[in-house]
Amino acid sequence: MATAKIKLDKDLVEKAKKYAEVAGYASVEEFISHTLESAIMQLEEAGDAEELKEKLKGLGYIA
Amino acid sequence: MLALFFILALFPLADRAFAYIGPGAGFAVLSSFFMLFVAFFLAIVNLISWPLRYLWKRARGKNAYKNAKVKRVIILGLDGLDPELTGGFMSQGELPNFKRLREQGHFAPLATTFPSISPVAWSSFQTGTNPGKHNIFDFLTPHWKSYLPELSSALIGNVARVIHFGKYEIPVGKPALKLLRRSVAFWNILADKGIFANILRVPITFPPEKSKALLLSAMCVPDIRGTQGSFTFYSTNQQRGQHTGGTQISVEKKNGAFCSYLPGPPNPMTKAHDQIRLSFKVSRNGKPGQAVLEIDRQKHPLELGKYTDWVKVTFRTGAGGKITGLCRFLLKQLEPEFEMYVTPINIDPEKPALPISTPAYYSTYLAKKMGPFATLGLAEDTWALNERVIDEKDFLQQTWDIHAERERMFFDAIENLDQGLLAIVFDATDRIQHTFIRYLHEDHPANRDREKVLYKDEIRNLYKKCDDLVGRTLEKMGDDTVLMVMSDHGFKPFKRGVNLNRWLYDNGYLVLQKDGNGGEWFEGVEWSQTKAYALGLAGIFINRKGREGKGIVAPEEAVRLKNEIAEKLETLRDPERAENAINKVYDSATVMNGPYVKNAPDLIVGYKPGYRASWASVTGTVMEDLFTDNTKAWGGDHCMDPKTVPGIFFCNKKIREGDLTIMDIAPTVLDLFGQKIPSYMDGKVMAMSIDEK
Repeated sequence: MATAKIKLDKDLVEKAKKYAEVAGYASVEEFISHTLESAIMQLEEAGDAEELKEKLKGLGYIA
Repeated sequence: MLALFFILALFPLADRAFAYIGPGAGFAVLSSFFMLFVAFFLAIVNLISWPLRYLWKRARGKNAYKNAKVKRVIILGLDGLDPELTGGFMSQGELPNFKRLREQGHFAPLATTFPSISPVAWSSFQTGTNPGKHNIFDFLTPHWKSYLPELSSALIGNVARVIHFGKYEIPVGKPALKLLRRSVAFWNILADKGIFANILRVPITFPPEKSKALLLSAMCVPDIRGTQGSFTFYSTNQQRGQHTGGTQISVEKKNGAFCSYLPGPPNPMTKAHDQIRLSFKVSRNGKPGQAVLEIDRQKHPLELGKYTDWVKVTFRTGAGGKITGLCRFLLKQLEPEFEMYVTPINIDPEKPALPISTPAYYSTYLAKKMGPFATLGLAEDTWALNERVIDEKDFLQQTWDIHAERERMFFDAIENLDQGLLAIVFDATDRIQHTFIRYLHEDHPANRDREKVLYKDEIRNLYKKCDDLVGRTLEKMGDDTVLMVMSDHGFKPFKRGVNLNRWLYDNGYLVLQKDGNGGEWFEGVEWSQTKAYALGLAGIFINRKGREGKGIVAPEEAVRLKNEIAEKLETLRDPERAENAINKVYDSATVMNGPYVKNAPDLIVGYKPGYRASWASVTGTVMEDLFTDNTKAWGGDHCMDPKTVPGIFFCNKKIREGDLTIMDIAPTVLDLFGQKIPSYMDGKVMAMSIDEK
């Protein structure tokens, strides 16, 4: 996975580090990524229904 | 110095320069010339920098092992090996090597995860955390807005940009590919510290993460059509019709030969993404039961009832793009009807269309050294067996052939393991128990009108073969090695299906639109009045305000609702068998913790052994009987009360005390190599008796 850098306020990063551990994240990067992804998920539309179903085809546990 | 810096700066490009073209809409094509140029350039850089890298690795490596208590750790994963069956066969004297391990070291059940499903349990194995910290709760997860299912562990998306040119569409860049398992795999911690780690086919490692470990991906690697494994079946008999998990294609008889086509991936270079097809011809060669397959400018002999070796097939996209795959052909019948089965088309490990290893060239190395091998996540074609496209004999042949490929990889890796970690997972144990456990239960609905005797010893044979594998591992692994043999869950029969969506509908928690038919994937569900729904194998989701797109249940009501549903479900009786179908319904908030708990099913349904979510319930179908007999060959399962399906744990070292869970393995291995245990891990270091170096 390609990565990119963004600038964040240093105090915010320090706080994020502290609470990442409290919350059970493995790293501050994981905490920040999850927070952003959760916000984006509220805005993002689902993919094409047929494409989604096709991707699951053949999974032994589901018919 | 500047030149050295320039050379080192190029290393990260080595991985990224690896060209791939992949399934689904997410394709990227780089020109062959550009790839050749980059590969050549990197090869030169690699060659020039080799002495420096060698010295650096040696210096770092020596330091990395300074606190290690052992030289080598080998983890032999046998997916789904059951402690009760293992104990039983052991007491009958069938498993001498397992017995030896138990006497010399330790044998105990290994508590699995809530829920007891492979992707969940193997993610806990990797990270040493409970599912609330790694975010994998099932094979499927609902898209919160659309309620449609998505693969929980891997995102295979589209390329960000395409160039339009008439009817063509040229993808630029790579498709979005992301492993959705969170937290950190323990082998990455080791590898970052300079400790060698070789990881072969451990589930939920696709797409491979950037890592210093050597890793070959497993569960959820797609086939080249972008599905989780679709077979193709050819027949001149049109009545055989539609199949789950595969496609039936008609065959035309021309001048005595049978002609048809092999469906490939959608073409990434055309706007319509039309399917690329490879035509083929099967001709008799004059000998009874034999024929010749002509495909992709090659000829392959066919013999009734025998699989071909892996056949490499190349699908051309135009503009020089190629997608190569591997499949095997099985001629089933020449007359009166022609019938032929083709396995799902696996990604070719030698020229992978999507990255399936770390480093990217590792799969190429393995293919060059071992020959072609199955790369599909769930490579053994259980749907072809369910659909009776292949029979038990064919299925076993396919499964054991894949197992033999993996054994070759495993023993080669042991030979090369000077020090460090080797972890591998074998899947035959899971697939054969899913499809043959019915033979151990005479009253299994899948035995009705089916042969019940021929394969009744297949489960016993499976355990004996595993024992033999353990024996050969003990012989080869050398001194100063800790061997752990473990499984992610056990196995029980799956006789009756429970449609949770039907139950939720009958009890007023799920509402259909006036003209809603309650079909697959929640067709016709009135979400504005629905309080709960079931998707996948694990349990029930509350239709929560703020999480689901049309959620209606407020947080305070959710707590009451969860208790109410759990209480009612725990008394659910199966009228036909006059017994309760569910042992216990677990509130996710009480059996897991961590930042991802809110993505979990709110209730984990702990079915009594013998029961599981019905096939239709898993895919969000409402209108089906509440209870149905499971008559599929897939007659065994483990998606039940996790307390009833623990895995196994054997070790060649004594373990002093304590109940063991699958989360304990990661911290234990870190400890064996003298590494600090991260605070987020939930597993505990096993009290192992080691003669420290």
